[in-house]
Amino acid sequence: MDSLRNAPSSRPLKVYAFDPTRGRALGNFMTVDVPYENLKPGPVGSLLEVVDYDATTDSYYRPVNLDDPKVLLWNGLDPNESDPQFHQQMVYAVASETIRHFKSALGRPIRWRSSFAGSGSPSGGAKLRIFPHAMREANAYYDPSLKALLFGYFCASETDPGLNLPGQTVFTCLSHDIIAHETTHALIDGQRDLFDEPTSPDAPAFHEAFADIVALFQHFSYEEALLDVIHRTGGRIYRTEVEAESQPASGGPVIQAELSEENPLVGLAKQFGDAMGMRKALRSALGTPPNSKALEKLFEPHTRGSILVAAVFDAFFSIYVRRTADLMRIARVGGALLSSGDLHPDLANRLAKEAAKAAGHFLNICIRAIDYMPVVDITFGDFLRAIITADNDLVEDDRYGYRVALIDAFRSRGIVPEGVSSYSEESLLWRPPEAPAGSRLPVCSGLRFDASLSGGAEESEEQRKQYWEQVKQNKEILTRFSNENRGMLGLSADSNVTSLPPRFNKVHRVGPDGGLRLDVVCQLIQQTDVPIDPGDPASPKFKFVGGTTLILDQHGAIRYAIEKPLGDTKDDAKNERLKRQRDYFVRRAAGFGMAAYSGVTALYERGMNFGMIHRGY
Amino acid sequence: MKTPRATRKSGNHEAGGLRRHYPDPGGVGPSVGDLGGTERTSKGTIRIRMYRVGFGDCFLVSLPAQGGDGAHGTYHVLVDCGVHAKGNIGKIGQVVDDIATASGGKLAVVIATHAHQDHISGFGDKFSSFDIGEVWLPWTWDPNNPQAVQLQKRQAALVAQLALCSDAMAGDPSALNAVLNMTGNEHAISLLKSGFGVNAKVRYLKAGDKLTAGDVAKDPSAISVPGLSVSILGPPQSEEFLAKMDSPPGEHYLQLSFGMVEAVEGDKPFSEKWVLSKEDPELSSVKLTPEHEKELQDKVKSPLSALAFAIDQARNNESIVALLTFRGQYLLFPGDAEYGNWRWWLDNLQPEETLPQVTFFKVAHHGSVNATPVDALEKMSQGKFAAMVSTQSTPWPSIPCVPLMARLNTKTQQRVVRSDWLKLEGAPDPSPRAEPPLPPELPAGFVKGDFWIDYSIML
Repeated sequence: MDSLRNAPSSRPLKVYAFDPTRGRALGNFMTVDVPYENLKPGPVGSLLEVVDYDATTDSYYRPVNLDDPKVLLWNGLDPNESDPQFHQQMVYAVASETIRHFKSALGRPIRWRSSFAGSGSPSGGAKLRIFPHAMREANAYYDPSLKALLFGYFCASETDPGLNLPGQTVFTCLSHDIIAHETTHALIDGQRDLFDEPTSPDAPAFHEAFADIVALFQHFSYEEALLDVIHRTGGRIYRTEVEAESQPASGGPVIQAELSEENPLVGLAKQFGDAMGMRKALRSALGTPPNSKALEKLFEPHTRGSILVAAVFDAFFSIYVRRTADLMRIARVGGALLSSGDLHPDLANRLAKEAAKAAGHFLNICIRAIDYMPVVDITFGDFLRAIITADNDLVEDDRYGYRVALIDAFRSRGIVPEGVSSYSEESLLWRPPEAPAGSRLPVCSGLRFDASLSGGAEESEEQRKQYWEQVKQNKEILTRFSNENRGMLGLSADSNVTSLPPRFNKVHRVGPDGGLRLDVVCQLIQQTDVPIDPGDPASPKFKFVGGTTLILDQHGAIRYAIEKPLGDTKDDAKNERLKRQRDYFVRRAAGFGMAAYSGVTALYERGMNFGMIHRGY
Repeated sequence: MKTPRATRKSGNHEAGGLRRHYPDPGGVGPSVGDLGGTERTSKGTIRIRMYRVGFGDCFLVSLPAQGGDGAHGTYHVLVDCGVHAKGNIGKIGQVVDDIATASGGKLAVVIATHAHQDHISGFGDKFSSFDIGEVWLPWTWDPNNPQAVQLQKRQAALVAQLALCSDAMAGDPSALNAVLNMTGNEHAISLLKSGFGVNAKVRYLKAGDKLTAGDVAKDPSAISVPGLSVSILGPPQSEEFLAKMDSPPGEHYLQLSFGMVEAVEGDKPFSEKWVLSKEDPELSSVKLTPEHEKELQDKVKSPLSALAFAIDQARNNESIVALLTFRGQYLLFPGDAEYGNWRWWLDNLQPEETLPQVTFFKVAHHGSVNATPVDALEKMSQGKFAAMVSTQSTPWPSIPCVPLMARLNTKTQQRVVRSDWLKLEGAPDPSPRAEPPLPPELPAGFVKGDFWIDYSIML
């Protein structure tokens, strides 16, 4: 039969759209169409490997075989908290969904972090492990050294369990948001080396915010849940509460249907927050008016990150309102009372389409911006510049004003990009380096990209060999080019500096004339050892990282050079970035109880530890 | 300010001999002037005695009564009395005896900054023979404050659980020592809370409290030491601070159930029918190597030590931070307050008005890296204050923090003194790289005793 029919393009699998606490509430039992691939029990596919090993109890739980006819006939297992095989199915399905979003936004196959940074060898394609029940702990995190996602399970609070039973076992792997969030950490880590260096309060906060943004936008691709919220908010999906199904007749609510609820679309990981008894404290993307001073005070990565999340969603909802204003006007002309919850199903459907479409656009914009970020030491302001440049490259005519909405939302939250003269779109765009007077910018010629090769698992041995041969040659050309033009590219020529081999990707975009263009995004990273105490050369050292993200067009001409130079590492007074990083280290160390006894250096050596940040999700 | 530079050693022996029969039946302790013998002045002297207890804190502050000639007596304030079991040099018994001698057995105020062994282990039954006016404790111990009760209950359960899990932390002596510091303090705590059974008035203090000398009978915020006023800067009672205290970042994986912490080695979350033996062929596509299993096990266990440090830090942040003002002198005793505690009052209690005034600083948390924020130290006026740090590099070699000590040395203009500069038999010396280096002679105003160093401020 295999020879007669093509493999199906997708595999339907059931998941919770949010988490088990919403039970069978409309839209919570959902079927997602995961890209089809051959699976072994686990499930084990080409990119993901679900291993249900519980390290706390040292035991394995029975792996699910998603190709079992009894499972296939039911579109996968039904949602069930006490069936570990459903858990395995759900982490696989949601992680695959998240990967799909990245793949389509970046337009290239997904690779995880390679064991040896920057090697670019085929081993970089190995699988990401997912442990759905790794430990008894209220935590879930991506662990770069294991190249794995670890999900914990724990008992809900006895005194304040929210919607959970007191003491009930809560599984972090059943929360859609937590799975999407952790998968995003792994995806980003696979795109960039040293991107997660904790160099400023913005760096860890950016990673948390970005993972939340991806998790939240995924909500909007779930049609049923989206429709329900549209109905219950009269189309105002940005409200933090949805109306009760039935308005209380008099006095307070008497039955369940008369209770208003939190809007599930804009809340994150509700069961987890409830179970921990910290409902209000949990990150909520919206619900606080923008405050341009907030960034000066908030340093905890999740809290600080929520400012960025709020900025992006502010822009998204503004666009949604703009895109649907005409529909609303038409509905009003038709006599609809839009303040009440009941919308005409046709109108609701149209609103859902617009919301899903805009959400898809925003998710794309955000993911594509990753390619336009500096190599290290990322700030919220860099993200704004990356978004604007990436989107400007893709969509020249900004008809609905996406970019203006984003700029306004970032500005009102006090996110200030460095080195720009104003918040205008033109000044936010990254720029190429300046050519020395009287000469032209150098061109990196000779790069070759064969569009038919991807190095992916579906290709033959011969094709993959060809692909890696091409990668090797391109790498040599880029190394030579960056060495010859150090000064112009913001790279250091100091002999104490180590330059990592360049990493690069091709990026497709549509040119102004509608034709397809191919760009090359190249990361040039340098590092050098710097003493922690500027006044004491004998003090312990840390790695100070700098470098340039170089974006070339298909002819090798430089389109943008996004620089974070190492600069003068001997003198803090001349190196604002180094000084800021040192200050941040001190502040960060002070927040760790163990610093007092293990010494600060131990903390610097650990790099960014998502496990530590995530204690308590 | 004049500085007394007498050869003090003999004077102290003498004092000890003179005051053998405490407590003073008249209730009036000996004055600092009496003790010094040669350094009597018309206005009196504040004396701060730092005992070398090992790794711990014990400070006796002696304030001259009005008139200052010693004729009206001296008031004594004791700030902490404890030593860490792993940093104990066997002096704490003698220290308590010396406190009795030096104070004539009469203490106006006893402050226990927070519930760590290295600050309270010395508070034993001997104190019940003292005459004690007041006992000051952080509000987080107040049995009538439901938030405090809840906090203590959870912390105690976590500490008990951690102590049971010590095997899992065997590879991390630093964390084990942090756990040790939190255990076995029950007797001292109950003695303190009961006012030592000698009718001492027990106060639970929080940031923002102000206590001023006055008529104790009429005014509840009045204290009986003439000329003394005290601003309490920590611990704060804000919601944000509490949230941090109540859930140190690691707490979530040991959940409380019915007041008991659930065992880390809990039941499996699924019924047995889902569990496979490691040899089962069904596992062929997902079976890990034994090394990978071990790696993962280690990974998920390690948070115990992080939890130990987190609770330890939360406890330190419960420290009473007291600014004692006495006739133009500002003495800052921050206990072991770490960053979170400092941050709150630096942000909320106008530090730019108080910190530049400071004339004496008891360095927080034995000089650890996170216990003196840079911006706090920088706000203190260079050359205006002296500092004492009760410290030694056993059991934690990274204490005290070298750059901090170096900076303190500059800010005090070489008037920071370490307790481990006192050579005692069986006690570790500072490492050769220590900051500041041991000077040939103590700075002006400081005098060595048998197992203490005195700092005197002439008024």
